[in-house]
Amino acid sequence: MKKTLLFLFILSGISKILLAQNFEYGKASQQEIDMKQYDKDTSANAVVLNEFGSAQINVSYDNAIRLTYEYHVKIKIFNHRGFGHGTVYIPVRNNEDNNLSDDVNNISGITTYKDDNGATQVEELDTKKIYKTRDYKYQSTLKFAMPALHDGCVIEYRYIIITPFFEHFHSWQFQSNIPKVNSEYNALIPGFWQFNIALRGPLKLTKTETGVESNCFSAGGSKAGCVKLVYGMKDIPAFIAEEYMTSPKNYLSALNFDLIEYTNPYTGVKTKVTEEWKDIDAGLKNSQRFGDQLRKKDFVKDHIPPSILNITDTTEKAKAIYKWVQGYFKWNNYEGIYCDAGIKKAFETHNGGISEINLTLVTALNAVGIKTEAVLLSTREHGFITKLFPSIGDFNYVIAHFTAGGKSYLLDATDVELPFGILPLKCLNDQGRAFSMNEPSYWITLEAKQSRTITCSIDLTLQDDGKLKGTINRFSMSYEAFLRRKTIKKYNTIDDYVDFVAEHLHKIKIIKSNIANADSLDVPVEETYNIEVDASGNLDKDKLVLNPYILDKVNVNPFKLNERNYPVDMGMPSDVRFIINIHVPPQYTVENNIHDQNIQLANNGGRFLTTFTNDNNNIIFSSEVALNKSIFKPEEYAALKDFFNRMIIAEKTELVFHKKS
Amino acid sequence: MRLFNLTICLLLLSVAANAQQNYDVNLIPKELTPYANTIVRNSVETVEVKDLNDVEYHVTEAITILNKNGDDRARLIAEYDKMKELKYIKGYIYNSFGQQISKFSKSDCEDYSAAHDFSLFEDARMKVYTPSITQYPYTIVYDYAYRSKQTLGFENWEPVEHHGVAIEKSSFTFICKPDFSIKYKATKVSAEPLITTDAHGLKNYTWQISNQKAAKYEPYSPYYSDYLPSVEIAPQKFNYYGIDGSYNSWAELGKWEYDNLIASRQALTPETMQHIKEITKDITDPKLKAKKVYEYMQSKTHYISVQVGIGGNQPFLAADVDKQNYGDCKALVNYTQALLKAVDINSYYCVVQADDDYTIGLQKDFPGMEQGNHIILCVPFKNDTTWADCTSQTIPFGYLGAFTDDRNVLACTPEGGKLLHTPKYTFNDNIKTRKASFVIENNGAISGTMTTVFKGIDYEYRDELINESKVEQDKMLQKIYPINNLLIDKLDIAQDKSFTPSTTENIKLHARDYASFADGKYYFLLNTINRITETPKEVRNRVNDVYIARGSTEEDEITYTIPAGYHLQKEPLNASVEKPFGNFKATMELKGNQLIFKRKLQLIGGTYSKDTYQDLVDFYQAIVDADDYNVALVKN
Repeated sequence: MKKTLLFLFILSGISKILLAQNFEYGKASQQEIDMKQYDKDTSANAVVLNEFGSAQINVSYDNAIRLTYEYHVKIKIFNHRGFGHGTVYIPVRNNEDNNLSDDVNNISGITTYKDDNGATQVEELDTKKIYKTRDYKYQSTLKFAMPALHDGCVIEYRYIIITPFFEHFHSWQFQSNIPKVNSEYNALIPGFWQFNIALRGPLKLTKTETGVESNCFSAGGSKAGCVKLVYGMKDIPAFIAEEYMTSPKNYLSALNFDLIEYTNPYTGVKTKVTEEWKDIDAGLKNSQRFGDQLRKKDFVKDHIPPSILNITDTTEKAKAIYKWVQGYFKWNNYEGIYCDAGIKKAFETHNGGISEINLTLVTALNAVGIKTEAVLLSTREHGFITKLFPSIGDFNYVIAHFTAGGKSYLLDATDVELPFGILPLKCLNDQGRAFSMNEPSYWITLEAKQSRTITCSIDLTLQDDGKLKGTINRFSMSYEAFLRRKTIKKYNTIDDYVDFVAEHLHKIKIIKSNIANADSLDVPVEETYNIEVDASGNLDKDKLVLNPYILDKVNVNPFKLNERNYPVDMGMPSDVRFIINIHVPPQYTVENNIHDQNIQLANNGGRFLTTFTNDNNNIIFSSEVALNKSIFKPEEYAALKDFFNRMIIAEKTELVFHKKS
Repeated sequence: MRLFNLTICLLLLSVAANAQQNYDVNLIPKELTPYANTIVRNSVETVEVKDLNDVEYHVTEAITILNKNGDDRARLIAEYDKMKELKYIKGYIYNSFGQQISKFSKSDCEDYSAAHDFSLFEDARMKVYTPSITQYPYTIVYDYAYRSKQTLGFENWEPVEHHGVAIEKSSFTFICKPDFSIKYKATKVSAEPLITTDAHGLKNYTWQISNQKAAKYEPYSPYYSDYLPSVEIAPQKFNYYGIDGSYNSWAELGKWEYDNLIASRQALTPETMQHIKEITKDITDPKLKAKKVYEYMQSKTHYISVQVGIGGNQPFLAADVDKQNYGDCKALVNYTQALLKAVDINSYYCVVQADDDYTIGLQKDFPGMEQGNHIILCVPFKNDTTWADCTSQTIPFGYLGAFTDDRNVLACTPEGGKLLHTPKYTFNDNIKTRKASFVIENNGAISGTMTTVFKGIDYEYRDELINESKVEQDKMLQKIYPINNLLIDKLDIAQDKSFTPSTTENIKLHARDYASFADGKYYFLLNTINRITETPKEVRNRVNDVYIARGSTEEDEITYTIPAGYHLQKEPLNASVEKPFGNFKATMELKGNQLIFKRKLQLIGGTYSKDTYQDLVDFYQAIVDADDYNVALVKN
């Protein structure tokens, strides 16, 4: 991740005054109309020729403070694959609780194209064909389709949003999935408000200008000058997502604004929104939807089953509390760090968001005397948090943290199948901020103490009829146990699950099976299968062939790119081992050995190890694939790809048995 | 009016009686639990036609959820729109002992847009109630009613919506005045309903099922409506958005649709009519003329769904499409018809049930408005009926593809509706032929060229690659051809858009480490280009017939030039299977240093008896085994 802090908003030292520089509307040049392809990216189906946005805080006609955001874009569409850019969605925030909503105005659009005779024609957007849909309580969407799209047409549209949610200063996305020739954003911010402005992503700004405009804002008798900021980028390439990367948001070039403080123009009262962590801590502490919930210790304690209160061992008690909270609530699929309905309501309905459930967990643990913190984090999909300055805006998830017996535990009670101390993959995203009611908050690493671990032992005896009979014992541990349980629970019965396992086994019949610990979350899932392997199949009756990688074989290299731009992030380490024991009766000879492998990744990043012994027709073969790191940098990509390559080749190995005649 | 109120009172009484039923899970018959995650304890659905523009639907159902997998079924989703008004929603939740633990009503439901993602606008909304119960099993009882303002289409009764749902008892009653004639069709439930006349002289048609075990997912099953119970109802007289109508046949329904929904929508400006005449004036053959018109429409328009107007069943004005250059399937077919009419070519607006996986036709013996979800174009030339889908900018004129092939459709014409059948693509049409020539170097690397020709349904198989960037094309090809370390040196895709269309893909490729070398031997997979790695799962006690939607033929021939001076360690591959539904043959031969691999797989579309399923598994097992053949080369 790369983030640059552009500007810590301070009024002094700025002098130049600038004017808004929106490009002219409705004018597609002959060159733009004639353009056949975008030379800097000839595979582009569409390119943004020019894009301009501006945002300013001002006072509306009804004397309320509003943020006015203007957007204007001109796009060249080369072929029908680019037509999707001619359908426009404008999200409209719409808070039905307090009747505040975004107000979208002045939508206009125009398409310029060449008709069949080569003459240039224009078609304007019919504003009657703009549709509004209410998506849910807090959001609606305005949608329209640009008219008269043709291969090679130029579309242009603009609109203005006037919003009461001015604290959320509009961010600006420089990069998208099509290239852009030019993109520029202007911000006009009265001195009453101060923002942190951060540029995210690897691309550089090609234009940065700052200036002041005096007396640009007045409300309730107070006046202020404004800071005017101009940011621009030229020749922005299209963003191409890669597999095994975290959220594209982390890498897409964009400009984000975070409110630091503001002065109420009517009262002159100054409110610090963000400056230091202690301010954020205080804000959380005093929040009705956060700190107040953590104070409900007595309320929560009254609900805790008495049997739990009698447990003396701290970890055991914490486990019992965790299990109780997991089982009591059902997650309603809402994320966020603040409670919506609150803990009390959640107790009533057995239902809550991430914050209701996990703040209950934090409160319950504190209520029984286990000192527990709430850890704020941003999920993988939500993107990385900024470390450039303190900010609460990046967090969208909260979990619990406590320490006992020198061990630190991170807990998420919103999924009933998660074992104690294991976090879902979505939470494993760099660091979180640990918060408690009476001590300063601090960063805590979310890197997992968990892994995807499989150990498997197979014991087979070759029969006279050419079949191998025996058992498989597979143990899934740590995070792998969680995933295995999820898979098992997708089926209504264990038999259905075993059918599913059998489907993926090649030439192997499952005679009998047993799945242990499908419901005991804190121990490995143990699968036992009595199997029969058909090793014939080739035409030579006396020759039997067996690939020892019966389960968990890697066939396809997941890493296919020649070059990699972003880190490979797998979330957690993994370790897959198995040992296979084959008893070969004397009427057979074992024709070959399997070569031992020892492939290592640099800096103890991973290893692939195999060993083979044949002691008087008693074969023992073992294999281990371990990736010890969660994140591999782009410069480690080639080695990682090669590691998989060599492993796949080695896993093709076959043992050949020959029947003596 | 008093009469009807009385009926409602009676209904409510029966609901109250229902609520007192005992929902203890121990009362569920044991034979219903295998493979079930949900048990419908009792479901009562009634539809009462009060007037041609006033129909009341009333649903009361009690469902026991046995485990988490049943939670989706516990969620209530009640859709509504301008023509369908939700009257009330009530509900109760019971624990496993049958004790009530909570209740809810309409105000506890969330309200969402129910529009499809692909739609720019659709007036469809829904109320959703999601229970939050962590202790299984539990029982949820719903009671809700809605009023529909039209009688053209009635919702089907489909008591088993999903696998894993068992039914203790479920009933459906259709209530109407004696002079309101209906047609009905019952599948997998008693063909004839119980018909009674109630105290108010209303006619009651009742169907009921009980103690139905949960269905299990079975691969290669026919379309669900062939094996799950359902009742369809169609009216004779109806009112739709204020328009009266009646029908007894597809001919009459098609006529009504044409007259009321289409006829007035096809006017074009004189300029457009002139233009289309101008660009086709040199073409005399009517089919080629129509092709030109179709291609003009394709180049000018694109698909955008906007569902406004008469129930989303009326196309936009052709003149509007001409100006905006977009429309949905109705609008684009209507527009193309208008263009064709301008050059004196007659065409039909055809209602079809589009589906890639199943060929579902309109039912010959049961005309009804609820069948069909898409519109296509039919151009009836002398002895040569041509079909076209107007929603794609790229497909050739006359090509339908898997979305609408081989099924009954309704042509809506001024003379009345006609039931027509779209072309069937067989294994003689759906052909994929591949020839490749590869060299395996001493270091195990592979390189070479490969040409694949796609015909019939397969014509579309490379559409997603065309016009993609090289980076994206490479990513897709690496998935299509699972050769590790595959690098594409050159890709060329050509499409022949004639009346027998085909796509030709030419690839030049290389990959390192294709063959591995150990103990003086080379090992490599014989078939990495077109392989099947998994068989359909075993199904014990299969219930459903085996359905193969359509036939296909694929032929591969790969010539490997191997390092000189090696011979085969094992017997060469020689596999061959023949079954009623298909055949497979794979062979290899080593001549000098040329290893030639040939593979042919043919499937014959159709429905086969359930006993055939084991044959199908064995058939695929033989293919998987053959495709897994590892070549081992030993030094001479």
